[in-house]
Amino acid sequence: MSHTQDKSTIMRQGVLIFIYLGVLTALEFFIAIAFENVPLLVLVALVKGGLVLYYYMHVYRLNENDGSDPHSLAYKTGTNRLGLWLFLLSDAFVFGGLMVARVNLLGMTRPHLNQTLGLAVTAVLLISSFFMNRGETAMAHGDRKGFLLNTSITLVLALAFLLGVVAVEWPTASHERLTPASGVAGAVFYMMTGMHAFHVLTGVLFLIVILRNGARGVYTAEKHWAVEAAAVYWHFVDVVWIFFYPALYLIGAAIQLAA
Amino acid sequence: MRHFVIVGILVIAAAVLTYAGLNAIGLMPVEASAQAIPIDWLWNLQVIAISFLFSLIVVPLVYSLVVFRRKKGDNTDAEHIEGNTTLEIAWTIVPLIIVVAFAYLGAYSLGETRRVDPNAMVIKVTGYQWGWQFEYPEYGFSSPTLYLPVDKQVVFQMQALDVIHSFWVPEFRVKQDLVPGRITEYRITPTLIGEYKVRCAEICGSSHAYMESPIVVVEQAAFEQWVGEQKLAAAEAEANATPEQRGQKLYETYCKACHSINGTAGNGPTWKGLFGHEVELADGTSVIADEAYLIQSIKEPQSQVVKGFAPMAFNATAVGIGDTEIQYIIAFIKTLK
Amino acid sequence: MKNVHPVLRGLLMLVVGALVGYGVGLFLDYAVQSGFFANATELRFNAPVPGLFSLLIGATMFFFGLVGYRGVTRGLVFQVVGTLAGGLLVTGIRASMGLSLWGGFLFTEPAWVLGGLVGALAFLVGVGAVTDWWKWALGEPTSEHHHDEPGFEKYFGVSLDHKVIGVQYTVVALLLISVGGLFALIFRTELAASQLQFLTTSFKLFDQNGLQMYNSLMSLHGMIMIVSILLGIAGIMNYVVPLLLGAQDMAFPRMNAFSFWIAVPAAVLLLASLFLGGFDTGWTGYPPLSARAPVGMQMFFLGVFVAGWSSILGGLNIIATSLRMRARGMIAFRMPILVWASVATSLISLTATQLIGLSFQLVMFQRLFGMGFFDPDKGGNPVLFQHLFWFYSHPAVYVFVLPGLGVISELLPVFVRKPLFGYKWVAMSSLGIALVGFMVWAHHMFTSGMNEYLRVPFMYSTLLVAVPTGVKFFSWVATIWKGKIRTPTPMLFVLGGIVVFLMGGLSGPPNATVSTDLHLHDTYFIVGHFHDTIFGGFVFPFFAAIYYWFPKATGRRMSEFWGKVHFWLMTPSFFILTLGMMRIGLLGMRRRIADYDPTMGFDFTHLILTVTGYLIGVSVLIFIINFFHSMKNGEKAEGNLWESRSPEWLVPSPMPLENYEHEFEVVGEPYDYGLAGSRYVKFANEK
Ligand code: HEA
Ligand code: HEA
Ligand code: HEC
Ligand code: CUA
Ligand SMILES: [Cu+2]
Repeated sequence: MSHTQDKSTIMRQGVLIFIYLGVLTALEFFIAIAFENVPLLVLVALVKGGLVLYYYMHVYRLNENDGSDPHSLAYKTGTNRLGLWLFLLSDAFVFGGLMVARVNLLGMTRPHLNQTLGLAVTAVLLISSFFMNRGETAMAHGDRKGFLLNTSITLVLALAFLLGVVAVEWPTASHERLTPASGVAGAVFYMMTGMHAFHVLTGVLFLIVILRNGARGVYTAEKHWAVEAAAVYWHFVDVVWIFFYPALYLIGAAIQLAA
Repeated sequence: MRHFVIVGILVIAAAVLTYAGLNAIGLMPVEASAQAIPIDWLWNLQVIAISFLFSLIVVPLVYSLVVFRRKKGDNTDAEHIEGNTTLEIAWTIVPLIIVVAFAYLGAYSLGETRRVDPNAMVIKVTGYQWGWQFEYPEYGFSSPTLYLPVDKQVVFQMQALDVIHSFWVPEFRVKQDLVPGRITEYRITPTLIGEYKVRCAEICGSSHAYMESPIVVVEQAAFEQWVGEQKLAAAEAEANATPEQRGQKLYETYCKACHSINGTAGNGPTWKGLFGHEVELADGTSVIADEAYLIQSIKEPQSQVVKGFAPMAFNATAVGIGDTEIQYIIAFIKTLK
Repeated sequence: MKNVHPVLRGLLMLVVGALVGYGVGLFLDYAVQSGFFANATELRFNAPVPGLFSLLIGATMFFFGLVGYRGVTRGLVFQVVGTLAGGLLVTGIRASMGLSLWGGFLFTEPAWVLGGLVGALAFLVGVGAVTDWWKWALGEPTSEHHHDEPGFEKYFGVSLDHKVIGVQYTVVALLLISVGGLFALIFRTELAASQLQFLTTSFKLFDQNGLQMYNSLMSLHGMIMIVSILLGIAGIMNYVVPLLLGAQDMAFPRMNAFSFWIAVPAAVLLLASLFLGGFDTGWTGYPPLSARAPVGMQMFFLGVFVAGWSSILGGLNIIATSLRMRARGMIAFRMPILVWASVATSLISLTATQLIGLSFQLVMFQRLFGMGFFDPDKGGNPVLFQHLFWFYSHPAVYVFVLPGLGVISELLPVFVRKPLFGYKWVAMSSLGIALVGFMVWAHHMFTSGMNEYLRVPFMYSTLLVAVPTGVKFFSWVATIWKGKIRTPTPMLFVLGGIVVFLMGGLSGPPNATVSTDLHLHDTYFIVGHFHDTIFGGFVFPFFAAIYYWFPKATGRRMSEFWGKVHFWLMTPSFFILTLGMMRIGLLGMRRRIADYDPTMGFDFTHLILTVTGYLIGVSVLIFIINFFHSMKNGEKAEGNLWESRSPEWLVPSPMPLENYEHEFEVVGEPYDYGLAGSRYVKFANEK
C-alpha cells in the first residue's frame, strides 16, 4: 500500500503534481487567448485529468493485490474501492451527457463570462485538491493533526469555490443577462455549473463528516476508508471541473447577449 | 446423420411454406409511390430471410422435443457434448455476412428512395395540433387537402408549429418527422391515382389519432384544372368575403381542432355563446369575454387561462394570425350565439 | 381485529383509507378551487386531488393493516408527509415572492416537483433504508449480520439479506406487471372497435378527457412495465447470483436494500402521475410535447429518475459482487452463464441509465426554470433529447433481456441433461450484445430529422447485434439436439421464451434497415416487435425462473398443473396478440392512437387482440394465485428437485439464512451433464 512508501516522498510528489497542474492551467488559458486550438485544449485537459486520476486518486490501487482472505479488512477495502470507482464511472456519464449537450447546443460558441472569476474558482478548486491529497496522505501515515489541518483547508477552499460559483459567478452572469431562461447558452451554463456545484455540495458534506469523525479519532493509519473515499470523490469533482472549465470558459467564440 | 437429413428437409419445407403463406395473405398495403418499390423489394427479401431463419431454429427445436424426449424411467444423462469451435465460428461468420449484405442493400434502397428530380414541385407542409396545411407556393394558395399529380416528384418542405409530428401515408411507405424549429424534407413520386390519407405518425397530444388529412392523386390534367379552380376560388373568396366568412375560414383551418361551435368542450372551451359572457379563469377570477379579452386570449394564451383547461398550446401568431385576422375571428365568434 | 387474517385486515384498512383520503382530497380541492371559501364552487368528485389522496392514504392504511406501523407503512407515511411538506415549502417561498400559490392540482407545478422529491427521500428515511449510513456518518458502529425476524413481516421492512431482497423485488415486479397489465386491458378495451367506446371526449376523470386518459394509460403501461422488468431482473439476480457464486450476500448489503426500497417511492410517483393530469407523450416523453403536458409529466419524470437510481446502484452491486465474492476456484470461465449475463446487464444499467435520468431532468428544468434545452424558440434542439434518451433506452432493452437469456442458458442444460453447447461463446455473446448495444441507439430516430448521414452507420451497427444473439440461439438448439429432454413447467417457459424471442428478434432487422423502417416506424409492427422481444426475453424466462427457484426459496413447489395451464393459455394467446399487431401495423395501424379509421378494416383484428390480451391477463392471474397459494400449501420439495449440478441445489431448501454453511470450492465445469464422475463444486466438509 501507499504508506509503505516514505511519507515525505509522497508529500513531495503531491507538490510536484500540483505544480504541473498549475502550469498546465496557465498554459491552457494562454492557448485559449492566443490561438484558440480546440484539440490542444482537449489534450491539456486530458493530461490534467490523467495526472489527478493517477497521482491524487490512485486509480492503480484498483489493481492492488489485497490478499485472498475475503474476510480481511484489506479485501473489504478493496471491494469498497471498486464500488466507489464504479459509482464514479456511472456519475461520469452524467457529466459526459452534459458535455454532449453543450457541444450540440452551443457548438463553437460559448457564453460570455467573467474570465477572472473563472480562473479564480478554477485555481481555488485545484488548490483544494492539493490540500486534500496532503490530508489523505497524512491520515495514511497516522498523522491525525496533519489530516485535520489539511482537510480543514480543503473544506474552506471547497466552500469558497461553491460560493464563488453560486453566489458570485451566477449573479455576475445574470447581471449580464445570462439567465437560465434567456436562451440555450444560459441554460447550458447554469445546468453544467449547477450540476457540478451539486456534486461539490455533496463533497462538502462528505468532508464535514470525515473531519468530525477524524477529530473524534475514528480513523487510524490502517483503517480510514472513509477518508480515502472522501478524497477520491473530491478529486473526481476536480476532474470534472478540469473538463468543464475549458468547455464553458475557453472553447469557442463568446456570445454577447444584447442589452 | 439420418436426423440431420430429415431436419434439413423439414427446415426447407417449413421455410417455403412460411414464406408462401405470408406472401399469400399479402403483408403490405397497395404500392402507390415510386419510393415504395425499392422498399417493398427489400421487405420481400427480408420476409424470405425471416422465414428461413425462423424455420432453421424452430424446426430442430420441435424435432428434438418430439424425437429426443427422455423416456419414462430413463434416469441417465445425455451424451456429453461440450461444443464445437468450427460450428461456432460458422454460425458467427455466416450471419455476419448476411447482416452486412442486408445493411448494404438497405443503404442501396435508401439511396433509391432519395433520388432527386430537380424539377420536383415544391409544396410547403405545415403540421400543428391537430391538422395539416398544404401550401402551393408556385401557385400562391393553400389547401387543407393535398392534391398531387401522378408520376411527378414532389418535394415537401415541412415545418411543425408546436410539437413533433410525422408525415406518413402508408401507401407511399416513407415517413418523415416534422420538427419544430427546422424544416425537414420529404420527396415522393405518387404512381397510383386514388385517394389516400396522410396520418400523423408521432404522438402529438390528445387528438393525435385524428390528425389525418385527405390526399388525392390525379392525372396531370386534372391537377391543373384543380389548381385553376383553387386559384379562382381563392381570389374570389378573398375579394368577396365578409369578415365573418373570413373568420370562419380561419376557424376551420386552425381552431376547429380544439374549439367547437356547438357547445361541447373539446381541448379548448367551446366558442358557442362565448362573446359577452362571463368566463371563469383558472386563478379563480372571472372576466367578461369582450373584444379585449379575446384578443389577449389569442395573442397571449398563457395570460388568462380558462378554468379546467391547460393553457392554450396553439401559437396563433406563428401561423400568421395578426391583428386583422383576429378581428375576422372575433367577428365570427360574435355570430355564435 | 387481532384474529383477522392480516391480508383481510389490510384490505379493510385499504377501503377505509381510500375513503378517508378521498374525503380529505375532496375537501382540499374544494378549498383551493374556491379560493379558500371566498366564492364556493361545487365539489369536484372526479378531480385529481381526491383520487391521489385516496390512492396514497389507502395504500398506507393497507400496509398498516397488514404489518402495523413499521417498515413500508412508516415509509409511506413519511412519503405523504414529506410530499406535503415539500409542497408547502415551495408554496411558502412563492408566497414571499408574490407568485400564485395554488394550481388546478392543489399545489403548483414546482411545489409538486419538490414535494415529490422530498417525499421519495422521506420514504427512505421512514422505512429505515438509510439508518446505517446515518450511523456511519456519525461514526457509530453498525451490525454486519442479518437480524431478520422470522415470519412474513420481514418482507415489509428493511432487510439486508439478499434472499429477502430478491423476493421483495420479485413480488413488487409482479404487482407492477399486474397494474401495468390492467392498464393495458383498459385501453385495449377501448381499442376493441373503431370509434371511441368509453374513453370519449365527454369522459372526465382526474382532469382528463377520454383521449388524454387513453394516452396516460398507454404511456404509463409502457413505463410501469419497464420498471417492473427492471425490478423483476433485479429480483432474479439478487436471489440467484450470490448463491451461484457461493457468497454469503451481495458485496454491499445496505446499498442493496437501498436500491430496492428506492424503487417503491418511485412506483408511487409513477402512479401519482396518472392522478395529476396524466401525460400524453408515450413512455418516451419527447419534448416539446412533454414540455407542455400537465403536472403528471413531472411526476413521471421524477418517478423514472428515482427508479433509475435503483437500477444504477443495483447494477453496481452485481458487478462488485461478481468480481469480488466468487467462491474459490471460480475463474471467469467457470462462472455460471447467468452470472455472465448479469454482469453484462449491470454494465449497461450502471452507466447508460444516467442518460435517461439526465434527459428527463433537462426537460424537468426546462419546464421549471424555462431553460430552453429543447425549445427551438430559445435555440434549443428537440432532437438532442432523443439522442440522450435513446442512448439509455436502447441499451436498456438488452438490460431487459440479457438476464432472461441467461436464465434460458442456465436452465436448458438441467432439463436436457447435456452440457451447454459452446459455453464460452454463449458467455461472451452476452458481453458482445451489451457492448454493441451501446452503439446503435439512433435506430429509433431514422425518421427524426437527425443528420441524414448518421443513418447508415447506425444501420450497420444495429444489424451487427443479430450476430451475437444468433450465437445464443444456435448454441441453444445445439444444446437441445440429442438431449434427454424433460418438460416440467420451467422448461416449458424456457422453450416458449426461445421461440417468442426468436420472433421478436427476427422482426428486429427490418426495423434496423433504414429504408424498411421508414415504413415500419411508429406502427403496430414495432409494438409487436417489442412485445415479442420483451415477453421472450423477459416475461417467459422470468416465469421460468420463478417456477424453477420457487422451491429454493420456500421449500415447496408450485402446482405443476396450474403452471401448465398458465403456459398453455398464455402462449397461444400471446402468439395471436403479437402476430396480429404486426399484421395491422404493416397495413398502416399507427402506434399510440385511441381510435383508428374504420375504413382501414382493422376492427375485427383489434377485437381479437383485445380478447387475447384478456386471456393473457387471466393466465397471469392464475399464476399469481398459484404463487401465493403454493407458498403455504404447495407440495414439499426440499431436495435437489431438478437434479441440477448447481451449488444452491446441493443444500436443502429453503436456503439457510447465511447461505452455505460450508463454503465450497469450484472443481469442474458448471454444465458437465453426462460426464461420469465430474462435479462442479466441492463443499468444505466433503473429502
Ligand atoms: C427486450 C427488448 C428488445 C430487444 C431484445 C430488441 C432487439 C432488437 N431490436 Fe428492438 N425495440 C424494443 C425492444 C427490443 N428490441 C422496443 C421496446 C422498441 C420500441 C421503443 C419505442 O419506440 O417505444 C424497439 C424498437 C426497435 C427499433 C426502432 C423501430 C422504430 O421505432 O422505428 C429498431 C430499429 O432498428 C429495433 C431493432 C432491434 C434489433 C435489430 C434487435 C436485435 O437485438 C435482435 C437480434 C435477434 C435476432 C436477429 C434473432 C436471432 C438471430 C439469429 C437467428 C441469427 C441470424 C439472424 C440474422 C442473420 C438476421 N428495435
Ligand atoms: C413488460 C413489458 C410489457 C408487457 C408485459 C406488456 C403487456 C401487454 N401490452 Fe404492452 N407495451 C409495453 C410493454 C409491455 N406490454 C410498452 C413499453 C409499450 C409502449 C408504450 C408507449 O408507446 O409509450 C406498450 C404498448 C402497448 C400497446 C400499444 C399502445 C399504443 O400504441 O396505443 C398495446 C396495444 O395493444 C399493448 C398491449 C399489451 C397487452 C394486451 C399486454 C398483455 O400482455 C397484458 C396482460 C395483462 C396482465 C399481465 C395483467 C394481469 C393481471 C391481472 C389481471 C391481475 C390484476 C389483479 C391484481 C392487481 C392483483 N401494449
Ligand atoms: C391545441 C388546441 C387549440 C387550438 C388549435 C386553438 N386553441 Fe384556443 N384554446 C385552447 C385551450 C386549451 C384554451 C383554454 C385555455 C386558455 O384559455 O388558454 C383556449 C382558449 C382560447 C380562447 C379563450 C376562450 C374562452 O372561452 O375564454 C380564445 C379566444 C381562443 N382560444 C382562440 C383561439 C383561436 C383564434 C384559435 C385559432 C387561430 C385557437 N384558439 C386555436 C386550445 C386551442
Ligand atoms: Cu401530429 Cu401526431
Ligand atoms: Cu433500440
